[in-house]
Amino acid sequence: MRHKYKKGLIPTFLIVALVFTGAWGFTQYKIKRDYRTRLNSQYQRMFYDMKDNIETVQTSLGKALLSKSKESNILLLTQIYQQAYFAQEKLSQMPVKHKDLEKTSKFLNQVADYSFAMIQNHVNGKDLSDKQRQNLFKLKDYTQNFSSELQDIHDKIMKGRLNFNIVRRREDSKLKKANEDMLNTGLSKYEEDQMTQYPELIYDGPFSDKVLNIKPKGLGDKEVSKEEAIEIVKDFLGDKKVTKVTAFEEGENKKGANISAYTFSVSPKNKEKEQAIYIGVSKIGGKVIWMENPRKIKKKELSEKEAQKKALEFLKEKGYENMEPNYSLKYGDANLFNYAYKDGEVTVYTDLIKVKVALDDGEVIGYDASKYLKSHHKRDIPKPELTKEEAKESVRQDFDIENIRLTVIPSRGSKEVLCYEFSGKYMGSDYIVYINALNGREEQILQIIKDEDGTLMI
Amino acid sequence: MKRKVILLVSIVTIIIFSSVALYSQIYLKPEETINKEEKTREVLTKAPISKVLYWGARGQDVIDVQSKLYRWGYYDGTVDGIYGAGTYRAVRRFQRKNGLTVDGIVGPKTAEALGLSFKTKTSNRSVSRNDNVYLLARAIHGESRGEPYIGKVAVAAVVLNRVEHPSFPNSIASVIYQPGAFTAVSDGQINLPPDDESVKAARDALNGWDPTYGCRYYWNPATATSRWIWSRKVVIKIGKHWFGN
Repeated sequence: MRHKYKKGLIPTFLIVALVFTGAWGFTQYKIKRDYRTRLNSQYQRMFYDMKDNIETVQTSLGKALLSKSKESNILLLTQIYQQAYFAQEKLSQMPVKHKDLEKTSKFLNQVADYSFAMIQNHVNGKDLSDKQRQNLFKLKDYTQNFSSELQDIHDKIMKGRLNFNIVRRREDSKLKKANEDMLNTGLSKYEEDQMTQYPELIYDGPFSDKVLNIKPKGLGDKEVSKEEAIEIVKDFLGDKKVTKVTAFEEGENKKGANISAYTFSVSPKNKEKEQAIYIGVSKIGGKVIWMENPRKIKKKELSEKEAQKKALEFLKEKGYENMEPNYSLKYGDANLFNYAYKDGEVTVYTDLIKVKVALDDGEVIGYDASKYLKSHHKRDIPKPELTKEEAKESVRQDFDIENIRLTVIPSRGSKEVLCYEFSGKYMGSDYIVYINALNGREEQILQIIKDEDGTLMI
Repeated sequence: MKRKVILLVSIVTIIIFSSVALYSQIYLKPEETINKEEKTREVLTKAPISKVLYWGARGQDVIDVQSKLYRWGYYDGTVDGIYGAGTYRAVRRFQRKNGLTVDGIVGPKTAEALGLSFKTKTSNRSVSRNDNVYLLARAIHGESRGEPYIGKVAVAAVVLNRVEHPSFPNSIASVIYQPGAFTAVSDGQINLPPDDESVKAARDALNGWDPTYGCRYYWNPATATSRWIWSRKVVIKIGKHWFGN
């Protein structure tokens, strides 16, 4: 009897365990299915939205080409601008490999960007030129093709042959493969067939091909060898500080860098447990582009003013005269100062150098001149056509102006514009208004936000 | 026989418990991480109080005030986030002791005395750079722990270079969360609280430091699985990562 009882025990336990595991497995499966469905719905919704966006872009482009009125064109272009951005945003979040979307993504961004440039064109009172009309026409063509590709994908979804679940385990990879291929081939086929012939668009906007291929202006033309660059590093940091200079390995892609440079890691002398100092020197001109010393900062002993003085001395020592302090940021126990180049009476906001000063002993622990080196050149700054007073008329009367000066500011498509800068207060907040000194147009408005860390301009 | 039964039972129990443990480890976050994360966030934002607090107020701000007062012995009620009579009296006591205007209202001065930072201008509250710094820092932490400092700045710079480039999404969040773009996002490591170094590296990158000179891709040659990535041209190698275009 006892024997029998024992014998029955094992299967019972096994069955209980099996049932338990089974139940657990089933809930897991249900949860998984639930997530999958939800994800799939999200992707589907995104897809439909995107399709709508593209169709709106397509029709609006057609209307904009037909319309003769600048006013309604501005409205249409605004719509294109917005819808193309939305479409790009959604496309980039699709579960498709980025490499298959790269060009389509760029195309949509440029459609948006180009429309914005055309809006500005219209606002400035100009009509579309023949060239611009041609461009818009091309863009419309591409959009149309893209839209019909999306229609094909849509038909597949409707027939239930496609769902977006590629976030699956490898086990059902056959199904996954088929799905992925359908969406991928759809979108990447478009990319391959159409986008390879897509022309370069040259216009004034941040995504224009012209801007992407810009060359640095402030380097000079002397080529520098690696050995010379090491000397430059030692000179820059001070010979006393340096024990060993090691170069980072470079790739074969010399043209890929926006400034081609040697990059070094420097072991500092006499300082235990300290991290390395990193520094980049341009191959042409031998200029220090950036430096970064991520060391720990002991005790704060300097005030912001003293640090500011150290930073300015540092810049003078490195041969950067005429630099004007701009704004500063607190950085833990360091301060970051931003300097702009001053050409005579004119502050040039494109030529910026940043200097980070440690507040324990005033050592410069960070330096970035990449902006300066990219844009600094000898400028023929034109004489302003407007006087201060004339420019002031373009500013709202209730704007409480505290300071006026002449500046060069960057504008869309890395152009430079001579402006009067009016800084002051409006409705309790700080703003800067830029008025073009040649034609009195309002170029830009910045809001200044001050918090405990420093000043931020938006 | 008996031994066998015991053995079997214990094996089954172990299996069940370990699977439950595994399950909870994967799907439920340990409390410790959450706390640590909150702490990092607190350091980052210095727990700003968003408005003036008085009798009847509720919420996290009140909890902050109550816990401070409780720690310093002014308040002996429960820290419940409700500004009631007890909190009111505690605030008055605190104000009297510290030479502040005794009104029972937590305004900028009282908040400062409590060591809580106070945002006076509510109009600017919506604009903050901290959120992007924090997101970027988390991405760096997930992607390049154990890399040299400059390797971290470089990873952050790649994210920002993508934002600037037309082939990629146009915001930091969209770039980071683009499907398949970063492994730290796919495996959830991005949700780990970042360390100080990552936060610092994120700020450096946002302020313009770019050790990659404009690169938009990076990969670890030892672990990269995509064949396509090898068609990218390398610009510079920092630590374990190769950076290219």
